[in-house]
Amino acid sequence: MVKDRNSFIFRFLSTLFVILAINFFLPRMMPGDPFSTTSADEVGEEIIVMTEEQRLYYMNYYGLDRPLYEQFLVYMKNLITGDLGRSIYYKMPVSDVIMLHLPWTMLIVVGAIVISTISGVVLGTLSAMNRKKGSDRIMMTGMIAFAEIPSFLLGLILLLIFSAYLRLFPLAGAITPFANYNGPAEQAWDILCHAFLPVVTLSLSQLTGVYLLTRNTLITVTTKDYIRTARAKGLGEKTVWIRHALRNALLPVVTRTGFMIGIMMGGVVLVESVFSYPGIGMTLRSAVVGRDYPLIQGILLIIAVSILICNLLVDKIYGKLDPRVVI
Amino acid sequence: MSLLKINYLKCHYLTDINTVRAVDGISFEIEEGEILGIVGESGSGKTTVALGIMGLLPENTAISGEILYRDEVISSLPESGMDRFRWKDIAIVFQNGLDVMNPVMKVGVQVTEPMIKHLDISPENARSKCADLFRTVGLDPKWMDSYPHQLSGGMRQRVLLAMALSCDPKLLILDEVTSALDAFTRKEIRDLLVDLQKKNGYTMLMISHDITFVSSVASRIAVMYSGRVVETGPVRDILVSPRHPYTRGLVHSTPDIFVYKDLWGIPGDVPAGDEFKGCSFSPRCTQKIDICNKASPVLMPVGGGREIACHRGGIAGLLEAKNLSFRYLLPNGEYLKAVDNVNLEVMEGEVLAVVGQTGSGKSTLAHILANVIRPECGEVLFMDGNVSGGNYGNRVNGVQIVFQDPFSSTSNRFTVLDAIKEPLYINKIGSNGDRLQMVKNALELVRLPTTDNFLGKYCGELSGGQRQRVALARAMVMEPKLLIADEITSALDVSTSANVLRLLKGLQNRRGFSMIYISHDLSLTLKIADRIAVMNSGKIVEMGNSHDVMLSPSDEYTKRLVGSRIGLCCHNH
Ligand SMILES: Nc1ncnc2c1ncn2[C@@H]1O[C@H](COP(=O)(O)OP(=O)(O)OP(=O)(O)O)[C@@H](O)[C@H]1O
Ligand code: SF4
Ligand SMILES: [Mg+2]
Repeated sequence: MVKDRNSFIFRFLSTLFVILAINFFLPRMMPGDPFSTTSADEVGEEIIVMTEEQRLYYMNYYGLDRPLYEQFLVYMKNLITGDLGRSIYYKMPVSDVIMLHLPWTMLIVVGAIVISTISGVVLGTLSAMNRKKGSDRIMMTGMIAFAEIPSFLLGLILLLIFSAYLRLFPLAGAITPFANYNGPAEQAWDILCHAFLPVVTLSLSQLTGVYLLTRNTLITVTTKDYIRTARAKGLGEKTVWIRHALRNALLPVVTRTGFMIGIMMGGVVLVESVFSYPGIGMTLRSAVVGRDYPLIQGILLIIAVSILICNLLVDKIYGKLDPRVVI
Repeated sequence: MSLLKINYLKCHYLTDINTVRAVDGISFEIEEGEILGIVGESGSGKTTVALGIMGLLPENTAISGEILYRDEVISSLPESGMDRFRWKDIAIVFQNGLDVMNPVMKVGVQVTEPMIKHLDISPENARSKCADLFRTVGLDPKWMDSYPHQLSGGMRQRVLLAMALSCDPKLLILDEVTSALDAFTRKEIRDLLVDLQKKNGYTMLMISHDITFVSSVASRIAVMYSGRVVETGPVRDILVSPRHPYTRGLVHSTPDIFVYKDLWGIPGDVPAGDEFKGCSFSPRCTQKIDICNKASPVLMPVGGGREIACHRGGIAGLLEAKNLSFRYLLPNGEYLKAVDNVNLEVMEGEVLAVVGQTGSGKSTLAHILANVIRPECGEVLFMDGNVSGGNYGNRVNGVQIVFQDPFSSTSNRFTVLDAIKEPLYINKIGSNGDRLQMVKNALELVRLPTTDNFLGKYCGELSGGQRQRVALARAMVMEPKLLIADEITSALDVSTSANVLRLLKGLQNRRGFSMIYISHDLSLTLKIADRIAVMNSGKIVEMGNSHDVMLSPSDEYTKRLVGSRIGLCCHNH
């Protein structure tokens, strides 16, 4: 057990190190640097034009003129003390920038995972129960066709219909700017309204996967002998499906949810851009555009660590759900 | 009123490629308190019957016929209607497997679950009842909190049993409850079942391919073959005198019943194809007649509570000897009674051994049966025709005899080809070209080379074992229905005789002829014989199933014969 734990920690740390190295070197391999004039960004940010002198001064100030390995060592040293560095663009500690934006992303990612998993499982179960009937076939065809639409396009369509045209939801942001709330309920409502469409878009992008997985696993599970045993006991269809079949079919769904976090982190960048939602995805995008190395590093690190933690959690949950697995 | 009645049940699995007629029109009844066993080899449709009764067949099954429980038709009930009967009235112990129980649920929960549902008791009561059940089936209640994968096969089987008993069912179906278990656990489960039946009077339907196990518990047996019942009757009768050729094969290939005999399965396969109309056993049957390929036989009562489905009424007789007697005139003018009022019968496809000391008249009897000498009185009937009148020795599918001494049956001056061809030549069978092919086929049967070189050898040049095989080929070339083998291995050394014997039994099993095997060597005889006749001074003093004769000889002479078996005998009788 001790040995297991040690090797586990070793594996965790070496994975982390590789990620850190990639995080560090990858942004620096992109052409340009934080202080060159970048080609005008389509979002229309203020273009800061600097003289060569100013540029060299800043490069020196942030230590970017030193050899790469030296920079890397400094970066690692600071990391160990918990210092993620200073954002060049925001002119404040990277950790503060992340703390400012991460909650919004967490809100929509967690919301999307909960919604897509629950509705995917429910729909998949309904579909499996009606297998070989028309409703299953219609649902399945619809779902698969739906999965072909890219999420940013879906987001745009939703935005156009519900925000621009029907005006049911705000067009951008996470909260109404400069709003005065009468109590926390109103504030929560405002946040919900803003998060609604991004969450829906993200959920829809994952729904088909969960749905198909649930449906197909359930269909496989129902051919197992223990389902026949449960039927033989005269427990009734509902118990057979939910207590015996679904319980077993959920195992792969749980694993998938863990992986979903990673996939969603990619999707979240696009979705946040579409809805101008001030989460970590949007921040990452502007950091890349501005070659804000410390911020890019910080965000990628946070994403990587959260994916690692999620996988860990999934393993734990899986172990709880499936007694055959020993952890 | 019977507890369960099945009327002409058919369950056909419709797959993408074909239709599997797993159960094809079977009917039986189970009385209250009775244990009925269903036996049959793997794939004969036993589990399908069980699932059919429980209403658990998969969707792709075409079901017809009727299942009645206490005179109520339950075969066409919808799922919810069937739930009324499941577990409270009819429960099943499934064929064991890792997947039979839900892998993510504690076994205790799986046992209490139906109680809470059907008996309307609280979870706590159910749990304590479950603990009782665990103790009943010989499991420590602490296992209630384990998951199925943490239990051994035998423990899982016990849990399955506890689960089936949980709602006190009226009818308990047991599907292969012991096949995956070791002999010791098997016995424990068997005793447990017998006990339960005595105490609670469960009615049971016990399904297994293990006829020994079933017969140690059940009172009646139905033998299934390829989706049909071919024979039913009281257990003891079926074991002692199986009447259907398949039942005989099944009984005879069971090591626990035939302790000494080598195992020979039933050759051939179940006919495939949906269009076959005849008796499904016919490809493996040694006694089929024309109608067997055209119509399938129905189960008919034959008296004594037995029923048989066979166009020939079960295993048919092949040869019958009545009141045979023969005396030799000795030089001093006295007569020696070599065969004294012998009656015997040989059935289709059976090996009858005639054993006795030298001089007990065995060879004389063999010669009479083969029509080499004529009896002084009595008659021999082969396929209901008189042997001497019908000349069965001279025709294809007749009687052939192979003698004790290979040197007398094949002349030194004959080549192998001539020796084997001779009977064909004498009896004008086939053209010359055909005969060569027939000789080669016969040689292949007895595992001898068919090269020109070998065919041209003189019999005098062959070894004893080879010569005995040539003699065997000479008999086989006539494709006999009955082969009489008179001490054919006595002139051979041990390993050669074992080889010849194996060859002979293999031939008999594959080709399905009957055989009278004459020998003074009891040990060898036991390896191949189905029945044994013991001869002493010209009389048959005892006749019966070889294991019965061996284990409990009734005649004094037989006892001495059995007792005089030399060798490393480790059985204690
Ligand atoms: N779901 C199914 N679909 C198609 N064919 C099936 C199905 N289940 C069983 N069969 C076929 O039906 C026949 C009878 O099967 P069944 O399980 O009843 O045999 P069994 O007598 O119980 O055999 P065993 O002793 O091996 O358990 C077999 O040929 C089998 O291949
Ligand atoms: S004799 Fe005919 S009906 Fe009887 S078992 Fe043989 S093939 Fe079937
Ligand atoms: Mg079976």
